[in-house]
Amino acid sequence: MSVGQYLFYILVFPGLAFLLFWTFFVFYFSRKTLAYIHKRVGPHYNGKWGSMQTVYDVFKLLTKENITPKSADPYLFNIMPILTPIVAALPVILIPWSPLINNGHGILDTDYGVLGLVVLIGVEPFLLFLTGFGSHNKYSFLGGMRVLAQMLSMEIPFFLSALSPALLFGTMNLYEIMYHNTWLTTLILLPGAIIYLIAMLGILEQPPFNIPEAEQEIVYGFYTEYAGTNYTLLKFAEFTEMLVVSASAVVLFFGGYRGLFFDSFLWLFLKIVVIAIIMIGIRAANPRLRLDQMLKFCWSVLTPLAVLNLAWVLFARLYILGG
Amino acid sequence: MERLKEVLNQFDLEYLEEYKPTWLKAKLKRKEDLLPVVRALIEEGVKSCSTVSPTDFIDENRMEINYFLEDLNTKRNVWLKVDIPRELEECKIDSITPLMPSANWHELEAYSTFGVKFEGHPRLRYFLISADYYGKFPFRKDFDWEEHEKNVIENVNKISEEFFEEYEENEEKIGHEGSKTVLHWGPTHPASGPIRLKVYTNGEIIEKVDPDIGYVWRALEKLAERKDFIGTIVAVERVCFMDNTNPMICYSQAVEEIAGKEITPFAKFMRVILGELGRTASHLVSLGGFFGTMGLHTFMMWCLDVREYFLDALEDYSGARIATACIEPGGVRYPMPDGWFDSVRKAIKKFEESREEIEDIFLKNPLMETRARGNGVFTKDDVDTYYLAGPIARATGKKIDVRLDEPYAGYGELEFDYVGCENGDARDRLLIIFKEIAQSIDLMKQAMAHIEEGILKEEMNPKKDHLIRMPRRMPAGEAVSRVEWARGEMLMHLVTMPKSSNPYRLKIKAPSVNHTMVLDKLLRGKTLSDIPLLYGSMHICQGDLDR
Repeated sequence: MSVGQYLFYILVFPGLAFLLFWTFFVFYFSRKTLAYIHKRVGPHYNGKWGSMQTVYDVFKLLTKENITPKSADPYLFNIMPILTPIVAALPVILIPWSPLINNGHGILDTDYGVLGLVVLIGVEPFLLFLTGFGSHNKYSFLGGMRVLAQMLSMEIPFFLSALSPALLFGTMNLYEIMYHNTWLTTLILLPGAIIYLIAMLGILEQPPFNIPEAEQEIVYGFYTEYAGTNYTLLKFAEFTEMLVVSASAVVLFFGGYRGLFFDSFLWLFLKIVVIAIIMIGIRAANPRLRLDQMLKFCWSVLTPLAVLNLAWVLFARLYILGG
Repeated sequence: MERLKEVLNQFDLEYLEEYKPTWLKAKLKRKEDLLPVVRALIEEGVKSCSTVSPTDFIDENRMEINYFLEDLNTKRNVWLKVDIPRELEECKIDSITPLMPSANWHELEAYSTFGVKFEGHPRLRYFLISADYYGKFPFRKDFDWEEHEKNVIENVNKISEEFFEEYEENEEKIGHEGSKTVLHWGPTHPASGPIRLKVYTNGEIIEKVDPDIGYVWRALEKLAERKDFIGTIVAVERVCFMDNTNPMICYSQAVEEIAGKEITPFAKFMRVILGELGRTASHLVSLGGFFGTMGLHTFMMWCLDVREYFLDALEDYSGARIATACIEPGGVRYPMPDGWFDSVRKAIKKFEESREEIEDIFLKNPLMETRARGNGVFTKDDVDTYYLAGPIARATGKKIDVRLDEPYAGYGELEFDYVGCENGDARDRLLIIFKEIAQSIDLMKQAMAHIEEGILKEEMNPKKDHLIRMPRRMPAGEAVSRVEWARGEMLMHLVTMPKSSNPYRLKIKAPSVNHTMVLDKLLRGKTLSDIPLLYGSMHICQGDLDR
């Protein structure tokens, strides 16, 4: 690959420009869908159907003053919002986005794709904990502790369910997992996919697991002290992580960019949007759980189910797919 | 009732008389008798103190303290009066808080506003008014407002220094030992409203909660003293904007009682309809707010959607949606507009259409059940001890409802019964609200049927009967009036002087005071996540908490 190609990957697709576009899009899309369920109108005045609203919002945030509280650790407080989106965007190179990029493989085509995804996604919460720690605010610190508690418990079902396609197909290469996928294997992997999606809600801190940033309890947790550019960067990291995790779900369980009639990035995008709609639907109809209830649910329901799912996948590999 | 009379007659009384069907009014000669009387009454079952209301008779140089004691089971109430000297040094009386915990904050309020020292109170402190309020006791008749302002301006540095000292003290308490800390939950917290809970936590576990109130204290009781009898309705309706019609009913009844007037049957039923409209509008916000505390805003939006129609009905009648000022002494303010019942029926229809959705999606939500079931339980004894009122008490299964216990307006002629749940947990406090809306709607329908029947029989004239003539100046007297407000019993104690054109003293008792008082008991040992949920389940409104 040439330097120009690399620059294109980094700056345009699936790099910076694409991630920014995704941030604007998902922000707008979730607001509009949520407003529809709320019986409201949502963004309305700027652009067609209010579509420019989130763009303006982001640029408004960027022009706001960046405040570092007196009591916060200035280095940690200001470095973390830069590190967090970078780490959140790293898994992008592993995911096969489109048949046009690198012959349909991920940009970094490796035999340890699943492992890479799982590790890079798992690093993120520790960075969020550090943002809370660096704020030196009681509410932020509590938020950081909650991130850790939630991550430690949600990681295990998340990883175990992410492993199930790798076990079924005997490879960790994301491209091969995607191409082995058929309607039958999708059905076999469905329990794993459901566990993955539930654990995903926990990892992305979406309702009903939005415990670390519960505004009614701990005032948005680790976000409390952030404003302006730093806040934008953290939100950018959050949306990027959302993209990465839902794209991995699609690649692992639902055949990635492969679709009916033709293979294209559009199919991948469509599947991600369906996942986003499910997430918003859950968000619109369910209250938040308590931390201890979440832990209990995770350790006594979700984790055993994830282990059982592995057994089921092995069984299916031996007796349904015939070894 | 006879038994209570016997008990009271054992003591040295100035007088003892029956007042309304459910009250005994007695005045003690000596203030030393207070505690023995209260002890004897508690043995007879009068266990709850509704409120403590001092009246400052500056011309006679005495301070009269009124105790409103209630028996919530058999509905026998005692109005106890006692005189104490007015001078600040002498203005002392024994505290009844050790006997009746429900009097706790009411005594603090009397101390902060009138300077009555309650001896033996577990923690007597300045309350409502901030601790740095210079020139204390704003409700005394000789309170010098200009002197007070001068003091505040001169001492503004000291006041802010004290604030920072307190702030630093709290910061020190965090320490670096263990995970104990003090969280300030409010007044700028997303879910708190204008109140501050000092939450002493150990990690996520709550060790103690200390509510700090007074952030929206408008001294409505003092404001009423400066307005004429009709002008006062705009002060009392601002107790809480959510249910704003019922406080006006309460106040108007007290004035009518002193004037000795009876309002027309048409006005009585109009009061029922307006009161229930206000209650429904308030309950819809309570319903939505309950889920808002758990981070789900959809329900709030849906409830506000329905509430709009009820506010439309209020607007069609009075021209205003929130601060309606539509009930005044002598009846209701305006004649009934033509076709007003249609807008009420439209609102009722809107609610009944969305009722099924609300029940299926939200009231049966499994995650809500997980969080709220069995959480924050109150027993029937707690209701007696702390005098929890209204929906909170009915959620425990206690049969309390002023509309039935002491029927006012047109409620005596309507058919309804106590609603209730059994467990008294947070979930029941949500469900009871929904049941009460259904009941309110039923009452509205009944009242509308009564009015329509009356118009058909030509007994009522909707254009003329709404208001009777009230005297411009009132005779001397005092009255106690109670209504069932959206959040529980509202009690007003009105005192007038001879030929007066404005109230001499108006005491407003609102239920949120007691509901905030029990937060410490409710939240101790729970986790941080339970604060918004349980706080929201008490349906506290800071407007009526501070007044």
